[in-house]
Amino acid sequence: MDKLVRTHLPRIAGLAFAGASLLAVSAAQAKEITIWCWDPNFNVAIMKEAGARYTKTHPDVTFNVVDFAKADVEQKLQTGLASGTADALPDIVLIEDYGAQKYLQSFPGAFAPLSGTVDYSGFAPYKVEVMTLDGQVYGMPFDSGVTGLYYRKDYLDQAGFKPEDMQNITWDRFIEIGQEVEAKTGKKMMGLDPNDAGLVRIMMQSAGQWYFDKEGKPNITGNAALKASLETIGKIMSANIYKPANGWSDWVGTFTSGDVASVVTGVWITGTVKAQPDQAGKWGVAPIPALSIEGATHASNLGGSSWYVLESSEEKAEAIDFLNEIYGQDIDFYQTILQDRGAVGSLLAARGGAAYEEADAFFGGEKVWQNFSDLLAKVPSVNYGIFTNEADLAVTAQLPALTQGTPVDEVLQAIDAEIAGQIQ
Amino acid sequence: MRTKSTNILPALFTYGFVGLMAFLSVFPFIWMVLGATNASIDIIKGKMLPGEALATNVANFFTLVNVPLVFWNSAKVTILATVLTLAVSSLAGYGFEIFRSRQRERLYSAMLLTLMIPFAALMIPLFIMMGKAGLINTHIAVVLPTIGSAFVVFYFRQSTKAFPSELRDAAKVDGLKEWQIFLYIYVPVMRSTYAAAFIIVFMTAWNNYLWPLIVLQSNETKTITLVISSLASAYYPDYGVVMVGTILATLPTLAVFFFMQRQFVQGMLGSVK
Repeated sequence: MDKLVRTHLPRIAGLAFAGASLLAVSAAQAKEITIWCWDPNFNVAIMKEAGARYTKTHPDVTFNVVDFAKADVEQKLQTGLASGTADALPDIVLIEDYGAQKYLQSFPGAFAPLSGTVDYSGFAPYKVEVMTLDGQVYGMPFDSGVTGLYYRKDYLDQAGFKPEDMQNITWDRFIEIGQEVEAKTGKKMMGLDPNDAGLVRIMMQSAGQWYFDKEGKPNITGNAALKASLETIGKIMSANIYKPANGWSDWVGTFTSGDVASVVTGVWITGTVKAQPDQAGKWGVAPIPALSIEGATHASNLGGSSWYVLESSEEKAEAIDFLNEIYGQDIDFYQTILQDRGAVGSLLAARGGAAYEEADAFFGGEKVWQNFSDLLAKVPSVNYGIFTNEADLAVTAQLPALTQGTPVDEVLQAIDAEIAGQIQ
Repeated sequence: MRTKSTNILPALFTYGFVGLMAFLSVFPFIWMVLGATNASIDIIKGKMLPGEALATNVANFFTLVNVPLVFWNSAKVTILATVLTLAVSSLAGYGFEIFRSRQRERLYSAMLLTLMIPFAALMIPLFIMMGKAGLINTHIAVVLPTIGSAFVVFYFRQSTKAFPSELRDAAKVDGLKEWQIFLYIYVPVMRSTYAAAFIIVFMTAWNNYLWPLIVLQSNETKTITLVISSLASAYYPDYGVVMVGTILATLPTLAVFFFMQRQFVQGMLGSVK
C-alpha cells in the first residue's frame, strides 16, 4: 500500500492537477466574449457598458473589448476571413453599414444569421435592410446616423427667420434663406467640403434612392434622386452660400467657430455642436430640407454601424444572447449611452425612455432626441450594395466638374463610366 | 566683368532652397510639439502658438492608454527584432561575400527579388502560417518575419566588400576558426556598419505597423503604433492627446539616432578606414 501510494501519488496528483487546471481554463475561456470595434470614446465605451450590464445578470460571461482604428478592424477582419484562420477572429465585430453587404456577400457563412432570435420589427427598418441578404438578417443594428438640419437661431433671427420657417422646407427654399442670411449677417449658410460626397448621400437617401438598385446594380444615369442631389449641390455652389472646407477637421471648424449658420449631417454631430458652451441656446434642430422630386422626404441617414457575430465563434450562443438582451431589449441601456456618449441607437422603443424625453437646454429647450427618434423611423430603406465606397469616390471625382458648370447629365455619365471601370 | 551681385545670387538661391526644404521637413515636427500643448478644438481651428493644455493632454493620454505596458510591448518587439535581424542578416551578408559560388549568387539574386514583393501580398500566407503555428497574438509572430531581412543582408554584403581579406588571412594563420573570425575580427571592424544597420532596423521595427496590426489581437499585446492609430481614428479624435502620444512614440528613435549619429554617418560612408 505504502509503495503503491508512493509510486502512484505523484501521477495521481499530477492528473488531478492537470484536470483541475484544464477545467479552470475552460471555465474561464468558454465564456469570454471578444469584441473588435473602433473609437475608445464611443463604440468601445458603449460596448464596455453593455458588457458590464450583461455580466451583472450573467456573472459567468465576461467581455474583452479590443479597440483598433476603423480601417484596422476592416483590415484584420478581411485578413482573418480570407485566411480561414477562425481562431484569429473575434466573437463580435463592428462593421460600418456602408460596408456590411460587402462582407456578407464576399464571405458567405462567415456571419451568424440572427433572424428568429432578434425581433427586427422593433428597429428602424432602413437599418435592418442594410444587414439583410437572401431573406436572412445578420447583425444587431446599432448607432444611427439619422440626419438633421442644425441651424443658428441667432443668425437666422437677424435675417428675419423664425424656427417655424426652418421646418419641412425644400432645398430651394434653403438656398433662398441662405442668400438672405448672407445679405443680412455676412455669414455663409453652410460649410461644404468639395472632396466629401456625404451631402450627396444624405440627399439621395432622403428620396429613397442609392448608387445601386435593389439588385445591387449601378443606378446612376436613371437615378432621379442622384440627379436632383447633384443639381442642388450645383445650385448651392453657384449661389455661393457655402464656406469651402478642406477635410473633415476644417469642415467641423466651419460651425464650431461660428462662421456658418447651419449644418446638415448625422445626429452624431450633436456632441461636437454642444462642445461649444458659448453657443448654448443659439442652436435649433429641424428635419433636413427635401429635394423637389417624387418620393422626397425629410429623413435620411449618414454613417452608422452595427454588430455582427462570427459564425466560427466558440461563444456564438452567448454572444447572440448578449446582443439580443442588451441591444435588442434594454431601453435603460439606450438612455445611458445617449446621455453619456450621445449615441442614438436604432431600437425604436428607446424613445420612450427618460433621456429621450428630456428637453435640451443647449437647443433652447427643444426635445431634440424625440425629434430625431421620429425621423429615425421614417428614413427610407435603400440597398447600400457592395461598392458604396467606390461609387463615392467616383462622385467626389466629378464634383469639381459640377462646380465648373458641366451639365448634370454629363456629370452622371462620367460617374457611371467611372463606377463601371471601378467595379469590374 | 565680374560684379559682386552675380556671386551672391546663386548663394541666395541655394540658401533659400535649402531653407525651404529644412522648413518643410521640420514643420510637421514643430506642429506636433505645438499641438501637444493645445486643446483639440484649437488645433482644428489652426492655432499655431503654444497653448496651456499640455498637462491635460498628457494626463488624458495616460488615462486612456496603459503607457508602461504599451511601451514595454514596443520595446520588447523592437529589441528582439533588432538583435536577431543584425545577428542573422550580418552573418548572411558575410557569408555571401566571403564564400562565393555560382549557386550562392543565384540564391542571392533570388533573395534580392523578394524586395520587389509588396508586403500586402505576403500578408495572408504569412498569417496562415502563423495561425497554423499557433503564434497569432504573440510578439514572436511580429518578430519572426522581419529577421531575415533581404535589405540588411544586401547592406552587409556591400559593406563586407570593404573588409580587407588580409585580416581574414592573418586570422586564419593565427589558427582562428571561421566563427571566431566573424565574432572577434569582423564584428569589431565593422562596428559602424552595425551601428548604421542598427538604426535602420530599430526604426523599422519600432514604427512597424501593418504586420503587428494583423497578428496582434488583444489590448494586452498592442504596440504604440497601433494605440496611436486607434486614438486618431475616433469619430472626434482628441488631437492634443494624439500629439502627446506621437511625441512619446518618437522619443526612442530620436534618442537612438542622436546617440549613434556619428557611427551612422561613418557606416554610410564606408566602414573600414
